[in-house]
Amino acid sequence: MVTVQESEYWRWPESIWVDESKNWQDAEVISCGIDLGSVSTQAVVMLDGELYAYANMRTGTSSAASAEKAVNAMLEKIGDMKRDDIHYIVGTGYGRVSIPFAQKTITEIACHGRGAVYVYGDKVRTVLDMGGQDLKAIKVDSRGKVINFLMNDKCAAGTGRGIEVVCDLLSIPITEAGQLSLQVDEEPEPVSTTCVVFAKSEILGLIRKGWGKERILAAFFNAVASRVVELLERVGVEPEFAITGGISKNIGVVKRIEDKLGLKALEPKYDPQLAGAIGAALFGRALYIKSKK
Amino acid sequence: MGKNVDDLAQLKQFKEWFDNRHEYAKKWKKKTGGKVVGYYCTYVPEEILYAAGVLPVRILGSHEPESITRPYLHDMYCPFCHDTLAQGLEGRYDYLDGVTLAQSCLHMRQSYFSFVDRVPNIEWDYYLPFPHGVTNPYAADFAKHEFENFKAAVEDWLGVTITDRDLDRAIEVYNKNRELMTKVFEMRKADNPPITGLHAMYMVVSSQVVDKAEHNEVLEGFVEELQDVENDREIGTRLMLIGSEDYDKELFELIEYGMNYPATFVFEENCTGARYFWGLVENGDDRLMALAKRYVYRVPCPAKDWARGDFFGRRRFQFIEEVIKDYNVDAVIIAQMKFCDPHELDIPALREMLDNMGVTHLHLELDLTQPVGQFRTRVEAMIEAMGEEDLFI
Repeated sequence: MVTVQESEYWRWPESIWVDESKNWQDAEVISCGIDLGSVSTQAVVMLDGELYAYANMRTGTSSAASAEKAVNAMLEKIGDMKRDDIHYIVGTGYGRVSIPFAQKTITEIACHGRGAVYVYGDKVRTVLDMGGQDLKAIKVDSRGKVINFLMNDKCAAGTGRGIEVVCDLLSIPITEAGQLSLQVDEEPEPVSTTCVVFAKSEILGLIRKGWGKERILAAFFNAVASRVVELLERVGVEPEFAITGGISKNIGVVKRIEDKLGLKALEPKYDPQLAGAIGAALFGRALYIKSKK
Repeated sequence: MGKNVDDLAQLKQFKEWFDNRHEYAKKWKKKTGGKVVGYYCTYVPEEILYAAGVLPVRILGSHEPESITRPYLHDMYCPFCHDTLAQGLEGRYDYLDGVTLAQSCLHMRQSYFSFVDRVPNIEWDYYLPFPHGVTNPYAADFAKHEFENFKAAVEDWLGVTITDRDLDRAIEVYNKNRELMTKVFEMRKADNPPITGLHAMYMVVSSQVVDKAEHNEVLEGFVEELQDVENDREIGTRLMLIGSEDYDKELFELIEYGMNYPATFVFEENCTGARYFWGLVENGDDRLMALAKRYVYRVPCPAKDWARGDFFGRRRFQFIEEVIKDYNVDAVIIAQMKFCDPHELDIPALREMLDNMGVTHLHLELDLTQPVGQFRTRVEAMIEAMGEEDLFI
């Protein structure tokens, strides 16, 4: 009998965390932000504007169920908090309109801007949000208020979904791909397109030519970085510069963007994939306080 | 208690004409026995056709995916060209007797020639040269000369003579239509405009596909009824739409009716909006010169306004600047048809002008169908960036 071992190389680890040192019952305002993205969903709870707990899960086929799943997982980890204990819930991300229990929705552009200041500090002026199917270049002020932004058009080339596909094609776990792509003696030319479909064909050609996986990844991430830098330059890059969203965890992409810009990205104080949900929760706190005035 | 604009019979009529434009033309033809000519681009002097008893209808697309135009049009020609040609190839314009184009851009010209060659029911076609540089002092003379040839070709085809009286009658009908639509647009300067951009689109685009005299009758009632309209919608951000032709109701429905924040278009500077009807024909002894001046001096399409602005300056930009002030515009949506080179060339200068005026703006690239989710995020993010100061605590 033949056994087929299947591995999901694209699968990134889901995570749930709670700050055990804090007691949520002491908080005056408990706010929650849910960033329902095309690929991943983050839910965070903030106590008086400070991060207390989060869940980072994969988005499923139902937006409402994905939001519910992330919030429930987080509440379960907290233990004694119920959804009713939360004063204000703000939804953001591509699926924000489909979160039935959110009191308000705010765009992920505003939320990533606001969240980036929390994650990176108030010096950040340019935020690059690299998500599952969107790239957004956002200019913010010291409060994280959006001054200007640009978003990629319909095409999701060079985004998280594309990286998942390439990792699957090369049988490389997605969490290792960034580091692996840096193990090349010389940076190869970028693949000629970041379009997932065309890049896949081109990569198959490179495999047949005998290219190693590291080199292929380097060529692909080089192309992704070029596309991102083009978007950033259109909006105008001002230091300090920070990256949010799932791809911010891919050192292979981040390093190449830094090299092309000649700028070092800021070091995050918290998981930068949470920036959108954190921004939403901070807006939630403000909205709650406003409603009580 | 004021009336709700959506309940007005006139508005329902505009929408009905817009939705069922092909059926209207077929019925008109049956009723009158007259000829119907489809036109590409709003630089065609419809009055000459109308004076000869012809019904001019603008050729429009359907915003449905298609895959039959690729043998005739390059992929990187604009979606409007593909969409319009597709309608012809699919037989939706099977009632047209003729088709004409006033030269505007190369994409449109290619679509037009393919339409002429591939749509079997076309018995008459006319490519009308029209000056590119409408800021050139000789542009009106050029246009007049071409209008003479156009008139002669129409007369020859139909075996009729278009008299000055015929032209006067046509000019009168068309001017009345322009005046009435301008009146409706003027009402949108109010703090609480009686109509939305979606309503305006139905009004203007329906006027492009039905008999203007009939449209005028309905319009007259509409202007009157609008005095009593009381809107219960929140106006929110006052938006101006600038760009390519835009008759995709999905876009208006999204921005004006489907967002998290209230927003209302108060002006559309495009050829399915003000650029179509703004500016009257100042009739005089020389009818064709009067027509030529109207079409040359109207608010120009970017395809025509590119020449050195040493005669009149960039008239379109001057017009936009005035509208922003007069209509109290908060933000501009620049909606450009994908691959539309004339607009693409104009947009950097337009942005610069808006920046200098301190007017917020957002660029959306229109396609055959729109990425509604992404557009929503962008427009909402623009509005969020304009306000919500109290959320930064």
